[in-house]
Amino acid sequence: MVKPLVVLLCCLALAACNPGDSAAICFALASAPADLDPRYATDATSQRINRLLYARLVDFDAQARPVPSLASWQQLGPFHYRFRLGAADRRFHDGQRLTAADVAATYRSILDPAGASPHRGALAHIGRIEVRDADTLDFFLDREDVLFPARLSIGILPASGIATGQSYHRQPLGSGPFRLYAWHDAARLELVRTGDEQHILFEQVSDPTMRVLKLLRGEVDLLQNDLPPELLQYLRERSDIEVQTRPGNTFAYIGFQMQDKDTGRRDVRRAIALAIDREAIIRYVFRDAARPASAVLPPEHWAGTELPPLRHDPAAARALLTRAGYSPQQPLRLSYKTSSDPFRLRIATILQRQLAQAGIEVAIRSYDWGTFYGDIKAGNFQMYSLSWVGEKSPDIFRYAFHSDSLPPRGANRGRFRDARVDDLIDSALTSSDEAEQAQYYAQLQRYLLEELPYVPLWYEDQFFAAGSGVAGYRLAGDGSYDALLHTTKQ
Amino acid sequence: MPAYLVSRLMLAVWVMFGVSSVVFFLIHWVPGDPVEVMLGESVSGADREALRHALGLDRPLLQQWGAFLYGVVRFDLGMSLHQREPVLSLLDERFVATAELAALAFVIAVLIAIPLGVVAAARKGTRWDTAAMGFSLLGLSIPNFWLGPLLVMLFSLGLGWFPVSGRSGFASLVLPAITLGTSLAAILSRMVRSSLLEVLDEDYIRTARAKGLGGYRVLLGHGLRNAWLPILTLLGMQLGALLGGAVVTEAVFNWPGLGSLLVESIQRRDYPVVQGCVLVISLSYVVINLCTDLAYAWADPRIRLDQESD
Repeated sequence: MVKPLVVLLCCLALAACNPGDSAAICFALASAPADLDPRYATDATSQRINRLLYARLVDFDAQARPVPSLASWQQLGPFHYRFRLGAADRRFHDGQRLTAADVAATYRSILDPAGASPHRGALAHIGRIEVRDADTLDFFLDREDVLFPARLSIGILPASGIATGQSYHRQPLGSGPFRLYAWHDAARLELVRTGDEQHILFEQVSDPTMRVLKLLRGEVDLLQNDLPPELLQYLRERSDIEVQTRPGNTFAYIGFQMQDKDTGRRDVRRAIALAIDREAIIRYVFRDAARPASAVLPPEHWAGTELPPLRHDPAAARALLTRAGYSPQQPLRLSYKTSSDPFRLRIATILQRQLAQAGIEVAIRSYDWGTFYGDIKAGNFQMYSLSWVGEKSPDIFRYAFHSDSLPPRGANRGRFRDARVDDLIDSALTSSDEAEQAQYYAQLQRYLLEELPYVPLWYEDQFFAAGSGVAGYRLAGDGSYDALLHTTKQ
Repeated sequence: MPAYLVSRLMLAVWVMFGVSSVVFFLIHWVPGDPVEVMLGESVSGADREALRHALGLDRPLLQQWGAFLYGVVRFDLGMSLHQREPVLSLLDERFVATAELAALAFVIAVLIAIPLGVVAAARKGTRWDTAAMGFSLLGLSIPNFWLGPLLVMLFSLGLGWFPVSGRSGFASLVLPAITLGTSLAAILSRMVRSSLLEVLDEDYIRTARAKGLGGYRVLLGHGLRNAWLPILTLLGMQLGALLGGAVVTEAVFNWPGLGSLLVESIQRRDYPVVQGCVLVISLSYVVINLCTDLAYAWADPRIRLDQESD
C-alpha cells in the first residue's frame, strides 16, 4: 500500500514541478491578458501589457492630449495627415528596423475586413495609406476627424510577419521596451526588459485576498488596483508594504432607459441624483479611495471642466417625486440591473437603501457579466450601473450620448435623443481649434448634468502596493504599467 | 466482459452526444453575445458583424451545431473565441492541472476517511466515535473558500511551508489538495462508518470472531471488504466531481484547472471552450462510472457471477 503511494506522490511532484524565478519582478494581476496582438486586444490587461511590448505612433500626455511617440504629425488638409517617424533607433525585437511600411501594414491589416479586427470600426474612415519613404507616410481620410491622431495608438507589427500571416496572439513581436520571454501557462506571462534583461513575471491571481497574502509572503512584488477597499486599507496600515494612490479616471455612473415611462422623466432622474449620498459611500465604502464625479471626463482632462457637485438632499428628492405624481401609496418602483461582482452588488444594496429613504423602491437584478451586458446593449433595463475605464478621447460623448450612436452603432444604451446635445457634439467634432472644442465640451457637460441621462457617481482612485525591495514604480493616471520600465528589485 | 465494455463505451458516446448537444443549445439560448463581451464597452464603432462573421457566429444555429459535431468526430474542438487558441490545447493544459489536484485530493480524502470511519465504527458510541464524527461534521460545515485562506494563513504566512497559491511545483499542490480532500473525507468517513456498522452485525462477522480472529483483522479483512460497494459508489461520484474541476478551490488557490476555465468561458460566452469543457467533464464521468462498475466486480465477485448467469 505504501509503495504505490510513494510512487504516486513522486509522479505528482514531477508533474507539478515548475521552475521558480526569484530575481524576476512579479506583478499580480486580477485577470490574465487574453491577446498580445495589438490589432485584436480589447481587454485592459492585454492593452496595458501590449504598451510594454510594442511601440506606437501616438501617445497621450497627462491631460490626455495626443503627443508624438514613434512619430510626429502634420495636418496637411482636412482629410490628410502626414506622419514622420523619429530618429530614434527603432528596431523590432528580432533586429529588423521599424519603417513606415510596417506602420502602413499594421493599419492596413486592421482595416482589412477579412481580419475582423475589433478596432476597424474606429478607423474605418481611413480611405488610403501611402508610404512616401522609410520614415514618412500619409493617411487620407474619407471624412474630417479632428481627433484622428488620438486613434493611432495601436502597437506596430512587422510588415514581413503580417504578409506571411504570422500569428502574434501568443507570440508577440514588437519594438517596445520589453520582449516576450515565455507565456508559461494561462496564468503566467514573463517579459524581459530589453535595456537590462530584468525579467517581469505577470501572474494572474483572481482572488483579491490571495493577491494580498502573496504580496505579504513575498511571492509577488507588486499589485495594482482591483482590491476591495478593506484590503487596501489593511495594506496601508502595514509598515512592510508601500502603498501609493492617485486620482483615477474610471468613471462610475447610473444609466437610465430614456424610453421608460418613469426613468424617461427628468424629475425622476433628478430625484434619484438627489437621493444618493456619494460622500458617505466614498468615505465609508471606498475609504476615501475615490472622488465625486460630475461628468464622464475628469476636470483635469483637456476637454473636461469643473462642474458643481451633485448635492445630497432626500427631502428635495421627495418633493420632486410628489410633484411628479408619486406618493407613499403609489411609490416610484424601479428595477436596477448590475453585474454579479460582489463589490458592485454591495454598492447596489447601499444605493437601494439610500433611494428608499427618498421613497423610491428599487428591486436589484444581478446577472453574470454576459447576461447583464447583453441586456444593457439591448436597452432591456430601467436603471443600471457601469463604469467607463480609462477614457481618453472626448469622442466618448458622441459614442455615449449622440442620437446617431444608438446600439449597435454606439453606446447610447438608454436611447437618449436631444437635439442640443447632438449639436454641441457635432460642433466640437468639426472645430479644428482645441480651445473652441473644449468650450463646446464644457457646455455639453453642464447640459448633461441638467438632463442627467447618466447620474455621475465617482472616479475610482488608482493605487498600487509593493513589497519591500521594489523601487521605482510610479502610478500612471490611466492605470498603465509603463512605470515597469524604471522599476528595480533588490 | 469485452461485450460489456463495448456496450458501455457505446452508451458513453450517446451520453456525451446528449450532454454536449444540450449544453450547446443552452449556452446559445441564454442571453449574452461573445462578440459584445470581447469588444467591451469602450470600443467605439467596431465592426461587430465582420467579427461575428469571422468567428462563424452568424451562421444558423443548426449549422453551427453540425460543424461542432463534425469537429468532435475529427477531434477538432475549434478555436477559443476569446483567446484565439485551439480549444484542445487549452483543455490539455487545464486538464493536467485538474488531474493533479484531483489525484492528491482523492488520496488525502481516502487516507483520512477510511481510518476515521473504521475507528468510528469499531468504537461506536465512545469518545472516539464522537471525535471522528465531530471532525467529519466540521469538514462538511467549513466551506472551502474559508478553509483555504485559513490554511494559507497558518502554513504559508505563519510557518512558511507552502506557497500561497498558483501552480509552481509540488509544494503548491498541497494546500489546495488538503482543502479539497478534507471536505471529501468528511462525507466519505460517514459513509465508511455507516456501511461498516451495517455489515458488523452479519453472521459471517460473528463466525470470524468465533474462529478467534483479532478485532481489527475481522474489521478490515471481513467487514470492510463487504462494506466496499456503497463506499466505491461514493468514491466514484467524488472522483468524477473532482475531475470536472473544483471551481471554488481552484479560484481560491489560483489553480489553473478545468472548473475555472469553464466558469470563465461561460462568463465570456466562449462557446467552443464551454462545449470542450463539457465534453471532457462528461467523458470523465463516463470513464469513472465504468471504472466504478469494474471495481464493483472486484469488490464483490457475485456481481460478476450474476452477469455471467444472465
